[in-house]
Amino acid sequence: MRPFTYTRANDATSAIKLLTENPNARFLAGGTNLLDLMKEDVERPNTLIDISDLGLAEVKSIANGVNKGGVSMGGLGKNTDAANHPLIRQHYPLLTQAILAGASGQLRNMATNGGNLLQRTRCPYFYEVSMPCNKRAPGTGCGAREGINRMHAIFGWSDQCVAVYPSDMAVALAALDAVVHVRNAAGQERQIPIADFHRLPGNQPEKDTNLVHGELITAIELPPNRLADKSYYLKVRDRASYAFALVSVAAALETEGAMIKQARIAMGGVAHKPWRALKAEQLLVGKEATEANFNQAAEAVMADAKPLAHNAFKVELGKRSIVLALQTAMNGGKL
Amino acid sequence: MKDTNKAVGSPINRIDGIAKVTGKAPYSMDHTVTNPAYALLVKSTIAAGTIQDIDSAAAEKAPGVLAIITHKNAPKLNVKGGLRGGALLQSPEIEFFGQNIGIVVAETFEQARYASRLINVTYEKKEPKVDFDLVADQARMPKDKDKADAKRGDVQAALRQATHKVEEVYETPIEHHHPMEPHAAIAEWNGDKVTLYSSAQIVNGAQSAAAATLNLKPEQVRIVSPYIGGGFGSKGGQWANLALAAVAARQVNRPVKLALTRQQMVNSVGLRQHNRQKVSLAATADGKLTALAHEITTHCAINDEFVEPCGDCSKIMYDSPNSLITYRVVPMNLIVPTYTRGPGKSTGSFALESAMDELAYTLKMDPIEFRIKNEPARDPSNGKPWSSRTTVQCLREGAKAFGWEKRKPEPRQNAQGNYWIGYGVSAGTYPAHQRPTSALVKLNRTGNEVKATIELAAADLGTGTYTILTQTAADALGLAVQNVHVKIGDSDLPPAAGAVGSVGAASYANAVNDACEKITQELLTKSGKQFFVRPTAAQLMLSEKLTDYQTRVDSKPPEQAEEYSAHSFNANFAEVAVNKSTGMVRVNRFLAVTGAGKILNPKTARSQIIGGNVWGIGMALTEESVVDPRWGNFVTRSLGDYHVPANLDIGHLDAIFINEHDEHVNTLGIKGIGEVGIVGVAAAIANAVFNATGKRVRELPITPDKVL
Repeated sequence: MRPFTYTRANDATSAIKLLTENPNARFLAGGTNLLDLMKEDVERPNTLIDISDLGLAEVKSIANGVNKGGVSMGGLGKNTDAANHPLIRQHYPLLTQAILAGASGQLRNMATNGGNLLQRTRCPYFYEVSMPCNKRAPGTGCGAREGINRMHAIFGWSDQCVAVYPSDMAVALAALDAVVHVRNAAGQERQIPIADFHRLPGNQPEKDTNLVHGELITAIELPPNRLADKSYYLKVRDRASYAFALVSVAAALETEGAMIKQARIAMGGVAHKPWRALKAEQLLVGKEATEANFNQAAEAVMADAKPLAHNAFKVELGKRSIVLALQTAMNGGKL
Repeated sequence: MKDTNKAVGSPINRIDGIAKVTGKAPYSMDHTVTNPAYALLVKSTIAAGTIQDIDSAAAEKAPGVLAIITHKNAPKLNVKGGLRGGALLQSPEIEFFGQNIGIVVAETFEQARYASRLINVTYEKKEPKVDFDLVADQARMPKDKDKADAKRGDVQAALRQATHKVEEVYETPIEHHHPMEPHAAIAEWNGDKVTLYSSAQIVNGAQSAAAATLNLKPEQVRIVSPYIGGGFGSKGGQWANLALAAVAARQVNRPVKLALTRQQMVNSVGLRQHNRQKVSLAATADGKLTALAHEITTHCAINDEFVEPCGDCSKIMYDSPNSLITYRVVPMNLIVPTYTRGPGKSTGSFALESAMDELAYTLKMDPIEFRIKNEPARDPSNGKPWSSRTTVQCLREGAKAFGWEKRKPEPRQNAQGNYWIGYGVSAGTYPAHQRPTSALVKLNRTGNEVKATIELAAADLGTGTYTILTQTAADALGLAVQNVHVKIGDSDLPPAAGAVGSVGAASYANAVNDACEKITQELLTKSGKQFFVRPTAAQLMLSEKLTDYQTRVDSKPPEQAEEYSAHSFNANFAEVAVNKSTGMVRVNRFLAVTGAGKILNPKTARSQIIGGNVWGIGMALTEESVVDPRWGNFVTRSLGDYHVPANLDIGHLDAIFINEHDEHVNTLGIKGIGEVGIVGVAAAIANAVFNATGKRVRELPITPDKVL
């Protein structure tokens, strides 16, 4: 670990100011990912600004504004607390399932909601500093493109980077149309729809998100919806817990009689960001919730897949997982 | 004092349990030394070539740095001293990715790690041989004579004539041991003697290898290893880090603590090699085997050969008039493979026992009956009688306990919701040996209380050595277990065998028993009296009013043991549930039935067996170390990437021991259980996956993509 300065911030304004002034500073919240990356010499900040004391941890109903009736989660709330909060469990069980599908109990107790959004890929070439990686060291190449890429992307990758974004929580947030609230040094608040928060790698894989250096995630807002009764987060992985997704699917449905009124499908483990399947969702609207229609939607999602040398299985697995997740959602989230 | 209730055979709690859960049991890095410095190994970032230069100028100036040692300034060490894997900083040649190329010693671990990142190494690279698929056809005959081709009869002719046969290739990947305690050593010099606090499965082996490597006499090196945080074979042979800790400590003239990071574990302390195993079986229509061939191809290091004996189960498990076992090995730019739990038998049994299941299915025979039909009356490899053999009993009792009759012979006949349910069985074995071991017994009497101290340089991997030796000595001396104190894990104690190859319990307990017998006999002689009922040593200490008495024995296996073929045997039963959509496999139930002679402590024995089962489930479903086929680095460097099973992967486990009295294997009839618990496990699960889904997976681990 390189020497660094540690500062414990007392309030958000000074924390944001400190960060803005120093391009090599980082916020430290739960530290579950950042500290690992520093030990491995992947992240090399010269200053850590500990924001644990800023509050911003509350889960509450939204009383006003466009998302009135929804729920807001503080950026610095712990993942465990978000997953288990009655408001989340009641209105967004999909999010509870997704959070609890990730990491381990110990990690979720430390990890924050904002930090979860900002966790970095677990691509092994990103982690091993002697390897080429455009995300860690732009211009050095992509170790995984022609290397071991079983865990990597099948959607939206570029020759610069084939990494996947690892969060489970964010996949549910994508399906739930969450909005990320951030604040900058000028005190300005900005709202970023979850779909625009993470990026595809393109020619700048070093940029995971559209967050500007100096911005602090203050809250994540969940708009109200009628999806709570029929939702399910399915995570397929190499072991039953504490493993990243081969493929995951956040599925949610609103039905009227036999008809699907609204559908949400987002996937994890397949792209550099949560992969929302808008076209497939549209296909389902107005149709009956049958296996044939679910299959058709799944086919539509996977039509765009471009697998790499070692991950072609994700195409078939993705199809089956979408169908199973939708079926389970229809069944009230019970397998 | 007690003499009626036997301690041996009682499920007493482990003696060291409280110390462990309260943090009072010191592992390697926990020992206290004065003013230690911290060392970190520097690793190569290429797999083949030569170091042209190491520029450590910036690192030397970094805060807290005390020394930087590379091949340019390292002391001359004996590379043939017996430490495995080389990498002792004696030359600029690079033979695998992550080879040790330097040591940074600093005031703190963090300072050492920071400085290590400032070291700039330039290499002359060579094309590495790191893709097994590309080089497997260059494999040659191993140098090890045990791996010479073993032929009986004419397998090819039998296969040609057979009506029923299976010829398939089974693959097991590279695995790593990954004990919870990574390898670590504290080195402390005192004049020309060095003490190494470092966990060792073979205390005396570590001592002699470290001494020879450091060009010292064995008595100049002391190994202190009271507790071991797991080893699984990786702490059997010792590795360069042990000697390099001593080198660093001498260089800075202070005690040095050198621990490997988890990421460094993948290329520092051996691995289980990738095995490509072709098994050919032929049988008559009524299920009598006519041919059994097991042909193994694997890899070793560029200048060091190790081949795990994957053909061992095939040598002895079944009766076939025609048999062939061959090994071929190709050197690659990877660290040398080494012993890994159930070496050869766990991986070899996956191939053999999968093939047996395939042939039973072809024959439309129950796989248990097929195995029993081919039960050999004697060891087929050498004609010796079995000291005892429990395969049939394990299969029969296991079938009954497991509810085998509920199994559907055809796949996809048993569905529960979105899951296919399947049952699988396998049989397994591991050899039983006793190795020479010395033991010292010290008796001390205070008033009416007699206490014993037992001393030997044995090892406790966490498996229960302290506990079973306490029980053995208590019974043999006529003492309560709380009046017996066992001291092990120190090379200053009488030399002992290692806790390796399932020899620990047999070697240690027989030596302790012999020492207790000897001390009793000596006390009897000393008393000059004759007794109708032979008194215990404890009683003699009282009756003869002795305060202190001690004796030592150098124990050896009984000579007639060689006349028998002695092995532990088991049968494994698995019930799996396979998700119809996603291919995820879950082991609902697993039962291991084991015949391993006398069980000294049913509680620690059960833990050993289910521990082996858990690793077997990992071998079957999750564990794989993946090499980049271009550069030779492992991409699975952490326990986030290298998947040992999580709690949720393990369903209900059960272990049954066959009540077995083996009067030939050794005095106490102990066969050993450390290894056999993993043997056959992967095959039982793979067979259950076939029974569930009709999908035969011949390449471990059975991840969802292979089941789809």
